[in-house]
Amino acid sequence: MSEPVLRTEGLTKRFGGLIAVDNLSISLASRRIHAIVGPNGAGKTTFFNLLSGLLRPDSGRVLFRGQDITGRRPHEISRLGIKRTLQVKSVFPQLSVAENLWITRQARSRFLHPFRSAASDLEAKSQVERTLDQIGLAGLAARPAGTLSYGDVAMLEIGMAVISEPSLLLLDEPTCGMSPAETNRAVAKIRDLAQTIDIVIIEHDMDVVFGIADDITVLAQGAILASGSPAEIADDERVREAYLGRPEDEDFVEEAAHA
Amino acid sequence: MRDTVLLLAMNGLIWGLIIALIALGLSVIFGLLDIINIAHGDFFMVGTVLAWFSLSATGNFWVGFIVAPVIGFFIGAVIQRLVIQPIHGAAALSIVATFGLSLILQETVRITFGATPRRMLAPIQGTIPLFGVDYEIYRLFAALIALLALAGFFLFLQHTKLGVWMRAVRHDRETAVAMGIPAQRVYVLTFGTGFALAAFGGAVAAPITTVDFRGGVDVLPFCFMAVIIGGLGNLPGTVAAAVLLSFLEGLIQSVADPTVARISSLVLMSAVLLLRPQGLFQGFTK
Amino acid sequence: MTRRSIEIGVAVAFSAFLIAVPWLVPALTDTFWVSVITEILIWSLFAASANLLLGYVGLLSFGQALYFGFGMYGVALGIDNLGLSFWPAFGLGIISAMAMALVSGVFAVRLSWHYFAIITVVFSLIFYFLAVSMKPLTGGDDGVNFSLPPVFHFGRTVWSLTDPTFQYFFVLAVVSVCYFLMYRVIKSPLGKGFVAIRDNDLRASLIGLNVYVLRLIAFVMAGFLAGVSGALFAFFGRYASASYMFYQVSGEAVVWTIVGGAGTMFGPLVGTTLFIVIREIVSSHWEHHSLIVGLLAILAVIFAPKGIVGLWNGWMTRLDERDAAASAQLKLQAEP
Repeated sequence: MSEPVLRTEGLTKRFGGLIAVDNLSISLASRRIHAIVGPNGAGKTTFFNLLSGLLRPDSGRVLFRGQDITGRRPHEISRLGIKRTLQVKSVFPQLSVAENLWITRQARSRFLHPFRSAASDLEAKSQVERTLDQIGLAGLAARPAGTLSYGDVAMLEIGMAVISEPSLLLLDEPTCGMSPAETNRAVAKIRDLAQTIDIVIIEHDMDVVFGIADDITVLAQGAILASGSPAEIADDERVREAYLGRPEDEDFVEEAAHA
Repeated sequence: MRDTVLLLAMNGLIWGLIIALIALGLSVIFGLLDIINIAHGDFFMVGTVLAWFSLSATGNFWVGFIVAPVIGFFIGAVIQRLVIQPIHGAAALSIVATFGLSLILQETVRITFGATPRRMLAPIQGTIPLFGVDYEIYRLFAALIALLALAGFFLFLQHTKLGVWMRAVRHDRETAVAMGIPAQRVYVLTFGTGFALAAFGGAVAAPITTVDFRGGVDVLPFCFMAVIIGGLGNLPGTVAAAVLLSFLEGLIQSVADPTVARISSLVLMSAVLLLRPQGLFQGFTK
Repeated sequence: MTRRSIEIGVAVAFSAFLIAVPWLVPALTDTFWVSVITEILIWSLFAASANLLLGYVGLLSFGQALYFGFGMYGVALGIDNLGLSFWPAFGLGIISAMAMALVSGVFAVRLSWHYFAIITVVFSLIFYFLAVSMKPLTGGDDGVNFSLPPVFHFGRTVWSLTDPTFQYFFVLAVVSVCYFLMYRVIKSPLGKGFVAIRDNDLRASLIGLNVYVLRLIAFVMAGFLAGVSGALFAFFGRYASASYMFYQVSGEAVVWTIVGGAGTMFGPLVGTTLFIVIREIVSSHWEHHSLIVGLLAILAVIFAPKGIVGLWNGWMTRLDERDAAASAQLKLQAEP
């Protein structure tokens, strides 16, 4: 069993009187797709915000491949190889799709050259073209990203996450707002990526979760309610009560879990 | 020497109360509409000019106290509707718009009123001995009026429908709209109110200062100082900051240049912006 | 007519015009207009400094007049008080402007954008009042005059800025160099980084861009442009005054930029040209030209928020699309 890619110790975040993340100690194994699920307000996105440096924890530690990254700033964490997508899809609306990918690629280097022409970076250019093909947006390369449909923006976000060659990818509800066809495409892409990248994914779509996750952690009110394989989670009483609740969901979950 | 210190300090205090009125107007506009209103000092200036015109038209000084805020309110509402609304209050664009507005107001006054600064005679002449200094009665009276107006405004915010609406929209626009509050109308009325407050301050201040088309230029930075140091959205804080700053400047002026006084206020403002942008007066929340 | 051919045509005509000004303009109107055009070039750099921040990085600075002032006083005091010759004085102006931009930027750039806009004004006001209070040194609002040392010696010939033609070309050369530098930066990875931050600073930090440092770099670059503009201005008028550090001057730069077209290369130039020409034409007949400036500013933000160059770009894009559609049509027809 190799070193966990991500480990937190007693991670806590409070907003005023509200505890968003409560003493969370979680260990995410490498080379497995890990899904974080839970009802609204469970603290999932806050957890991601803590991991990616957008929030500082009130207490606790975050360790990435054994390295303490607690309290580091977002761009530093990004440079270490942790990339994330956002719950509300956000890219650079006035840059073209290709430029969005391009600047993501460029951002890996510490130094942005002030005088060399951007177009002369051929390595970046070929990477951009390859990624465009991968995510299927080659036809939209010159369009400003702000004019894209929601599903295409989500794919662009995934493309941006990919082109930066992350070692850990945090996907925050990547299929939210997608049509069934787009969802399938995204799921296939994520499975593809998981072969080389460690992935943690927040999802509401249980179909997707049970379809691709190797491990599932269920959060409720900022703490871990249950953790384990999809089959274990599906059978867990507390999870059913807290989260799933309805008989239709039970059957659905059983089917999906044993599919 | 002691007389001068006292005199300047009192002047500062009283001026601070008047500025508080104007700054309140700015705070309301800034807090609710998110607009950095470059023309706000000119709203004050227009108030002084309106007071002057109503005095020369009617021979009665007190008419100005009504004319200035009423016309000011109307002008403000029209401006919001015609200029601010079409640009949806977009950030950089509204600054340019208010900058243009400032030029228009200044030039219009210059055309109608003229370029020479004039003094207005106070309606109440004479002095009163106060703390060993002979103090102008009108200044004391102006302070009283300003206090009453401030109190009145806070009552308005608490108890009238429009006041409640304004507070609701500032607090949480979406919920307010969902509950049926007509946000657009509130914006129009808010801008009008902001203008009215500044114009009323102008009418009150007219005999104390000069009536001059450039009169707003000096007032503007001071209002922003009060709003920032008092805390954005913190109306009582703005009032407290205006009074305190003006009082402090008065004190400093007794030992140094007015310019030095102004610089120290500005440095204080920078410090607040950098270290404690929510303002110095916490605890007074909306 | 394709977009490309139109733009090339305009560029050539414009460059030809600029080169011919000292002879063309006096032939058409008055020699006076040569110095107006010189002034326009100088002020367009100032507008460009506001444009770099607002249009490309998304930072609204209402205090560029501060760095203009440092450039201006760097030259004036360098020549008058320190006895510097031309180039060292020029250098002093530029360096002090950039240094001031660095120092104030370190603090200002940390703030979110409302507070950033406000603190830029505050900083410029502080130094405005300082300049006013140090009247013996700076001349306060009235300003100081100085005589200009010559620029070039060639054996026994001496070229100096008192010759309006030489002055025009010198300014044109400096301004062109600055625009060229801006062009390179905008097209570079750094420039793309700026735009990314403008569009979505949260996303920018998540992909690894250090938003604070990039903003600071842009701020110093803008300080450079404003400083050059101020230095040129001092040379142009042989004059420096604290009144040019007041916030209304900064505000004008922002207005010229937005009306001309923020986020475009030539927007500041177009805007500056428009407003200064209006000022010159109107003020000779009517003293209230500020009224027109104000009205134009308001009309521009309501009806043409992308500015004149923005409108132009819009038309050009439509032209492009029409051409693309037309050639697609032709392709279809050509196929058997």
